[in-house]
Amino acid sequence: MLTSVLLPFIAALFIPLISKWKEKVHTGIFVTLIPLAVFIYFIQFIGAGFEPVTREYSWIPSMNMNILFHLDGLSLLFLLLISGIGTLVAFYSIYYLHTSEQLGQFYVFFLLFMGSMLGVVLSDNVYVLYTFWEFTSLSSFLLIGFWNHRERSRYGALKSMLITVFGGLSLLGGLIFMQVITGTASIQGMIEQQELILNHEYFPMILTFLLLGAFTKSAQFPFHIWLPDAMEAPTPVSAYLHSATMVKAGLFLIARFSPMLTGSEWFFLFVSGFGIITLCWGSYMAVRQTDLKAILAFSTISQLGMIMAMLGFGTDMAIFAAVFHILNHATFKGSLFMVAGIVDHETGTRDIRNLGGLMTFLPITATLAVIASFSMAGVPLPFLNGFYSKELFFDASIHFNEGAQGAVAIMQSILPYLAVIGSIFTFVYSMYFFFGTFRGESNMDKLPKKPHEAPIGMLVAPAVLVLGVIVIGLFPELINQPFISHAADSIKAGDIDKSISFWHGIKLPLIMSLAVLAFGTILALSRPKWQGVYRILPGKLSLNSFYDGTVKRTETYSTAITNGYMNGSLARYVRLIIGAIIIVTFSIMAITGSFTISNEDLSALTAPEIFIALTMVIAAVGTIITNNRIAAILILGVVGYGLAILFVLYRAPDLALTQLIIETVTVALFLLAFYHMPQLEKKTETKRKKSLNLTIAIGFGALMSMIGISAHSSKAFDSISDYFLKTSHSLGGGDNVVNVILVDMRGLDTVLEITVLGIAAFAIYGLVRLRRHKDEEG
Amino acid sequence: MSNLAILPILIPFIAGILLAFLNKHIPLVRSLAKIITVAQLLFVSWLCYLVYQSGSIILETGAWKAPYGIIIVADSLAMTLVLTTNIVAVACVFFAPVSLTEKQERFYFYPFFFLLITGVSGAFLTGDLFNLFVFFEVLLMASYGLIVLGNGKVQLRESLKYVLINVFSSMLFVTTIAFLYAIVGTVNMAQIAQRVQEVDQAGILTVIGILFFFVFATKAAIFPLYYWLPNPYIVPNPVVSALFGALLTKVGIYAILRTFTLIFVHDPNLTHTLFIYLAALTMIFGVIGALSTHNIKLIVAYNIIPAVGFMLMGIGLFTETSISGTLYYLVHDMIIKGSLFLIVGAIAYVAGTSDLRKMGGLIHHYPVLGWMLFIASLVLAGIPPFSGFIGKLLLLQGGVAQEELLIVITGLITSLLILFSMIRIFVKGFWGEKSDVLPTKPVKTAPFTWPIAFLLTFSVLLGLGAEWVYPSVQSMAEYLMNPDLYIESILKE
Repeated sequence: MLTSVLLPFIAALFIPLISKWKEKVHTGIFVTLIPLAVFIYFIQFIGAGFEPVTREYSWIPSMNMNILFHLDGLSLLFLLLISGIGTLVAFYSIYYLHTSEQLGQFYVFFLLFMGSMLGVVLSDNVYVLYTFWEFTSLSSFLLIGFWNHRERSRYGALKSMLITVFGGLSLLGGLIFMQVITGTASIQGMIEQQELILNHEYFPMILTFLLLGAFTKSAQFPFHIWLPDAMEAPTPVSAYLHSATMVKAGLFLIARFSPMLTGSEWFFLFVSGFGIITLCWGSYMAVRQTDLKAILAFSTISQLGMIMAMLGFGTDMAIFAAVFHILNHATFKGSLFMVAGIVDHETGTRDIRNLGGLMTFLPITATLAVIASFSMAGVPLPFLNGFYSKELFFDASIHFNEGAQGAVAIMQSILPYLAVIGSIFTFVYSMYFFFGTFRGESNMDKLPKKPHEAPIGMLVAPAVLVLGVIVIGLFPELINQPFISHAADSIKAGDIDKSISFWHGIKLPLIMSLAVLAFGTILALSRPKWQGVYRILPGKLSLNSFYDGTVKRTETYSTAITNGYMNGSLARYVRLIIGAIIIVTFSIMAITGSFTISNEDLSALTAPEIFIALTMVIAAVGTIITNNRIAAILILGVVGYGLAILFVLYRAPDLALTQLIIETVTVALFLLAFYHMPQLEKKTETKRKKSLNLTIAIGFGALMSMIGISAHSSKAFDSISDYFLKTSHSLGGGDNVVNVILVDMRGLDTVLEITVLGIAAFAIYGLVRLRRHKDEEG
Repeated sequence: MSNLAILPILIPFIAGILLAFLNKHIPLVRSLAKIITVAQLLFVSWLCYLVYQSGSIILETGAWKAPYGIIIVADSLAMTLVLTTNIVAVACVFFAPVSLTEKQERFYFYPFFFLLITGVSGAFLTGDLFNLFVFFEVLLMASYGLIVLGNGKVQLRESLKYVLINVFSSMLFVTTIAFLYAIVGTVNMAQIAQRVQEVDQAGILTVIGILFFFVFATKAAIFPLYYWLPNPYIVPNPVVSALFGALLTKVGIYAILRTFTLIFVHDPNLTHTLFIYLAALTMIFGVIGALSTHNIKLIVAYNIIPAVGFMLMGIGLFTETSISGTLYYLVHDMIIKGSLFLIVGAIAYVAGTSDLRKMGGLIHHYPVLGWMLFIASLVLAGIPPFSGFIGKLLLLQGGVAQEELLIVITGLITSLLILFSMIRIFVKGFWGEKSDVLPTKPVKTAPFTWPIAFLLTFSVLLGLGAEWVYPSVQSMAEYLMNPDLYIESILKE
């Protein structure tokens, strides 16, 4: 099982090699074999006696991250969709993509996606699932940006990435919460402890996190906006990722966690609510589009909404219908995308306003299109699978668990109406798609190319899918028992009524279907007359401009904020830094109440000390005030010499000596350097700034003094210096303790400090020499 | 006690001095530098293995016994960081000849480089607070030497700010050591920890702890002290930027990690809670900075800051899981920051500009560079299965377990924005028309590529192969959360 997931990744490594011969053999031919192999491997699990299989492979066991695969009915359904449609799409792409394209890259991304998607639906470990989940987003990003010389393509890729990765991170948040609460990283393990999560105080947040992940991935309103822009990807990609598989990962996630979450009212309200809104909004917006792929994109959004809503209903019938529709949608929508690709390929345009009457030129394509689009519309014919799931959807929307109250009851009562409204528009855009492209008058002169039927190879894949539509339509029981019912079981254990039949008798769902048919036909025929409604809704309300605005604002506000404080002024940086230190440290001091003064072991002050200290203070202030550079240095020298005298007074002659030498050398050096320096400018700072500087300076001085005093007053231990005094002679061989400390006891410090001086010397030498080199050159 | 502990400091120290006198013979210096760093890496790996196997190696310098003399403590944390430092050093030394001019090489790039490594390794290894200050001086002085290398006007302006802020923080550092010494009467870190413990970290010690935090936070670039960082980091040569980005702020974070898991651990409700808030602010403001600019080098430089926020978050949460997260993130970040600075340096070199608005379509000319940037961006943003994810996951788990929701959500949002800030470089710089005219002639990128690929390999391995590393990280976190282990290993009797 692990091999089947790794196979695409391993194959991806070899694609760059194989694609070197792309002029001779189309790389797609090799690639087709891989999903086919995976498909053949997984198809063997199908059967009435299927039991879930669990496999564990070691990855990072110490972090609870093992590759734990759980193959149940739900994953099997998805696995077969991913590998089955993957085979068809790869085959289709052989004819769609010319060998002059960068086939190597395309197929690497394609395989990366496929492997990750297989991983998503198999993983039981939440972190492994998340890993694959992000990789589907990334490979989708790369595939949308495949034709990255187009501006729209780059835009669409970035948009899809930002929205889906946003959802991904949110999902990660939710998963971490659940893992920390339950102590297990296995989804099945979490489901077993569902009470713990449902009753946890953070449950609403966990649910929000999970739903954000699912809704962004499955393009639910209002996050659907990335999907239409993702249509910039090559059509095989749209058919595969953005209709049949990746966008269903969100549905998969909800289905996966359903056993845990269906008990919650919030789950019902949010999932059904957002689902049904997405259904209505997507189908409504689809009718407005003029690009064939855009119609299909909004149609996908709306269909995903419908499945999402059913998962939210949570009743037996709804779950069954949802699973059934996941399969049906993949068949008819996959084929419709390929049809759109053929039309684009053969006529050079996808603009429905320029198309029309293509039935005569592309009869086979048109036949495929009519079946697929009528199935999508849910036309009641016994050989269209779309009708069955639509009928089940209606049925589910009027059969809820009894006894609901409050918001849940209100929601239950409006759902059937919204279901019908959404389906009416679904009917309208399905007709619009087919009739607008294949019927009506042809405008040959508007087409970039002279249309003719597609090559056989290109027709094979959609034909297989349409065949699926018909077979499922005619013999729904064929896939029911061995396949679909297992998937439904794994979402909701129990006795699900699993019969599918065309004729239920004249009941409410049938009446709903007929209503859709009637109103749909009227609206489809009168479409041009009510197109004006789009000027009112959405009118200027656009989620896209909201997204664009947010991205733009993120950048402009960031720039504004950052430039607001990062103005390059050192003085300001220092003010901010010292200001922060003052505020925080004073607060800590106040909280801990740690300011203490004790004069226990202090000697009495003497007059010379006071005199020297005062002189130093005055000199220090003087340095700041003066505008003359020489004066400033000389006054600073006073501070230094004052310190030296203090050292003398405190009986530290060696320190005093050092201080004197340093002070003298420094002043001398400064005076030497003055010759080369510009005049000191008079500082022109505002009064406000000056007083701010003063406050900060005094504040910092006060802070350091207070800490110094407190530190001295809270002496708690004897210093280790006694040891140095004792051992200086016996171990260090010297009577001058300071010397012994410098060269022996802490000799390492001294060596390193000498090194510091050495480095400084080399740095300055380098600086001077490089400058001279430059001058010579210049 | 064993002299082995000081060799990771001594080898680059001697190398630095030696090469300073050979500066006229550039080919010789180059090959010597390469040989020494590689040999050093091998030696340090072995030493690291030894420490993992049989515990800390401690050296009492000059045979002055602890707590009186300076001691070098090669414990698992220090050795792990020294090892990572040497990995980055190898990449940089191989990148240097392609990126530097001969003059820059001649005017002591290599001596400064080795002394920087000396300072950084010493800071990780020392068990003495004053000695830590001295190693900080060594690494800072070497960094001053590196930052002015090349002697451009902008460079001198920015390096002046860098030097002044660091001089200020050094002054504060040494003053704070004096305060602490006044109370506990020692500079040996183990003994300080022991004594602070004995008086249960009386209030003034907490205040002093916070001062230490500010000293290190200035170096680590934590909110609100990071203003000095971004610009000085992008003016020098890319290889210098890589060294700075990979090593310097991390020394600051290491010092916070060490002091606030060993010494100032008795009032976490005050100190460590403060860190959590600062971590959140650091992440947000850092990533906002990264989004504010079109200069690719600046984007990477700003991205240092949110990473520091993540590491501080783990220290603030102060649990075994979160500390493991910080450790993992620390190692990961040293490597990825090194490679990112090299990558953007290479991009700026081949594109002839670091302004993103003037780039486009580079992928058609430099596919390898583009894909390395793409992967590095994913690593940085913490996308699995790369190294950034493991650290981030541990930190977030720690945050959730401590119910610190604010920081968890901030961390998640920051990850998205980091990815956005980096992927912009890929989308705007690398995607686009093939025909986009390049300002410079096509350049052979292989010499650039190998050092970067070398570093990225570690990023991938630290993610996919986390099982090889994580148990050690976990036991390191356990060790850090029990300061007595450190104290006892040094003050045995």
